[in-house]
Amino acid sequence: MTALAILIVAGPLAGLAAALSGARARAAGIAGAAGAAISLAAAVVLLAAQLHRAPLEGAGGFLYVDTLSSFFLLTVSGVTLLAAVGSIAYVSAEEDAGAFTRFQVRLYFVFFGLFASLMLASLETGNLGLLFVLIEASTLASAALVGLEGKARSLEAAWKYVIISSLGVTIALAGTLYLFYAGSALHLTSNLRLTWPYLFAHADALAPAPLRLAFLLAVVGYGTKVGLAPMHTWLPDAHAEAPSPASAMLSAALLNTGMYAIIRFLAIARVRLGDAYPRGVLLAFGFASVVIGVLFMIRRGSAGHPPGMNFKRLFAYSSVEHMGIIAIALGFGGVLGLYGALLHTLNHAVAKSVLFLGSGDVALRYQTRESGPVRGLLAAVPFTGGALLLGSFAVLGSPPFGLFLSEFTIVRAGFATASPVLPLLLLGLLAVAFIAFARITTGMATGESPAPPNPYHGRAAAWAGVAPLAAGLVILLVLGLWIPAGLNTVIMHSMAAIR
Amino acid sequence: MEKLAATSPAGVLLDLSGVLILLLAFACLGSKLFNRYVAYYGAQSVVLSFAAAVVAWTFHSIELWILAGLTLAVKGIGIPVTTRRLLVRRLALSRDIAISTGLSTSLIAGGALTAFAYLVTRPELIPRGVVAAAVVPLSTAVILLGALAMVVRRHTVAQLIGWLIVENGVFLGAITLVATFPFIVEAGIFLDVAAGVLIMLVFVSGLTRQLAEASAGELRGLRG
Repeated sequence: MTALAILIVAGPLAGLAAALSGARARAAGIAGAAGAAISLAAAVVLLAAQLHRAPLEGAGGFLYVDTLSSFFLLTVSGVTLLAAVGSIAYVSAEEDAGAFTRFQVRLYFVFFGLFASLMLASLETGNLGLLFVLIEASTLASAALVGLEGKARSLEAAWKYVIISSLGVTIALAGTLYLFYAGSALHLTSNLRLTWPYLFAHADALAPAPLRLAFLLAVVGYGTKVGLAPMHTWLPDAHAEAPSPASAMLSAALLNTGMYAIIRFLAIARVRLGDAYPRGVLLAFGFASVVIGVLFMIRRGSAGHPPGMNFKRLFAYSSVEHMGIIAIALGFGGVLGLYGALLHTLNHAVAKSVLFLGSGDVALRYQTRESGPVRGLLAAVPFTGGALLLGSFAVLGSPPFGLFLSEFTIVRAGFATASPVLPLLLLGLLAVAFIAFARITTGMATGESPAPPNPYHGRAAAWAGVAPLAAGLVILLVLGLWIPAGLNTVIMHSMAAIR
Repeated sequence: MEKLAATSPAGVLLDLSGVLILLLAFACLGSKLFNRYVAYYGAQSVVLSFAAAVVAWTFHSIELWILAGLTLAVKGIGIPVTTRRLLVRRLALSRDIAISTGLSTSLIAGGALTAFAYLVTRPELIPRGVVAAAVVPLSTAVILLGALAMVVRRHTVAQLIGWLIVENGVFLGAITLVATFPFIVEAGIFLDVAAGVLIMLVFVSGLTRQLAEASAGELRGLRG
């Protein structure tokens, strides 16, 4: 079991090793994808084994994997696989076009591997201090990806990202300190007892006043990584300036990792403080995020001639909105709220991987990230255009895709637990987001335009560009039509771990 | 744990170092020269390593001695020397003009934040058993002052120093938890900070090469 946990973390390092040994983009990309596939397979085996046994613990509590961590491991390693396959196509196209030097290609795969591996490791630790260390380290690795292109814009985005996120995560560390202050009645002495399971089991003995502060600081701190408003300001820049597969990793894997940390703190806070306080905090940040995400989609989308915006930035604002939705779901709480929140992290991750990888394809073909000049995708590049269009309807929560189901669950949770005003407000905001977002993506997909040049050399690269989009759409469709019994059991078990 | 009561010599020394660290944060907030920012940060880190040494001496903890040594070497000497060489001197930074409020305003705001830190960490709110409870509000105040410096200063180098002060504040809080905070975590935090400073140095010098002045106030390409 411990070997499996190590294998999950070590898998993505294959691409790093290949890049360090001097492989070119194609070979390093294939190695990275193979490693990510191993990692995903190990995560699936571990998850299946988890259902029938006690949580995996070891190394004095530094290693701790229960069903909740396994569920997030599954999502993150799945996204890593999609993005790693997408990287083969994207990075080798950039290398062939001369946009990336050999050095940049090497840097890309080194930091991509590190980033994925550190995120997976942070999901496997039970020690809240180590959780901080690993999340901050993953911030630094991904900052290098954001600034990879080395232009003024990408360096600016990387600087903003690294300084805001580092401050945020440091605030989360202060929150962790306050959690320990709250636990000083427990006479925490050995390393073992600093761990999440111990604190959760003894949450009744924590002092409420420092715990309240600890929870707030953790939500603000890790919420900076999640992109909750008003700490979201780094997010659109970083997502827009990073190479597209790295944007997919940021939006679909990194944000989920931050949310995982918040869920752990939430579980402890709920036991001691009751529902009201955590709910208030999460609903406030959640609604702020949804409102900010939607407002920026409208405002930026209607500026310029012709009206339009950087489409990666549009997807990034949609990430802010969706993280807000997940925070709201956690705030609503109850069985439905938690179920919806966990399901939504998975659905959103898959949908955003499709959108960002698709946007990478469009950016390579049209050499722009603005939606204005991109027209007639469906006619010119039918597959990418179709995937982008279907992906955007999926992310907007229209049936028959998975996000419809999870958003529906979340709204139901709202009606079940809070006053009807909040879920109605959420529905209204979602409707506005639908119009603002779909206006831009349908504009890109429809119309007439000459076919752009093909950026890929060789069939392998072309396939690597297409395969993750197809796989992602199939997953979204399956999750929209029915929840496989296995997944249902996994989510139920995960909820049991934090209730 | 009883050894570090506020009246014991070690407790007094720890409290004194905490106060000094807070004063140095104020000094940094009240200055306008890049050289001084770096110097005050370095001095603050030296005092911090002294505080860690006091705790290490009281608890006879070898790990904490190592941490105190690391703090002195990395934060007290390493980071100040490299930032001064690679940023302040090479970019010929002297006066910081990208401050959005007057110095007196930021000092007053800093005083208010310190009072706020004492308000939220009243002794009756923090359970007994914490080593040197007086350090808790001090460390909270240092965190807030560092964050304030990041808010009112728009220059990238000044923001970097602000983040480092926040980090020192957290570290001050962490050494009061010696018995519970595992060494590997503290060492990991160290590694993160060092790596973070390195990567920020790369970004700041890259930005300076591309823009005339790498002040975050000039970073206006990406908005909305």
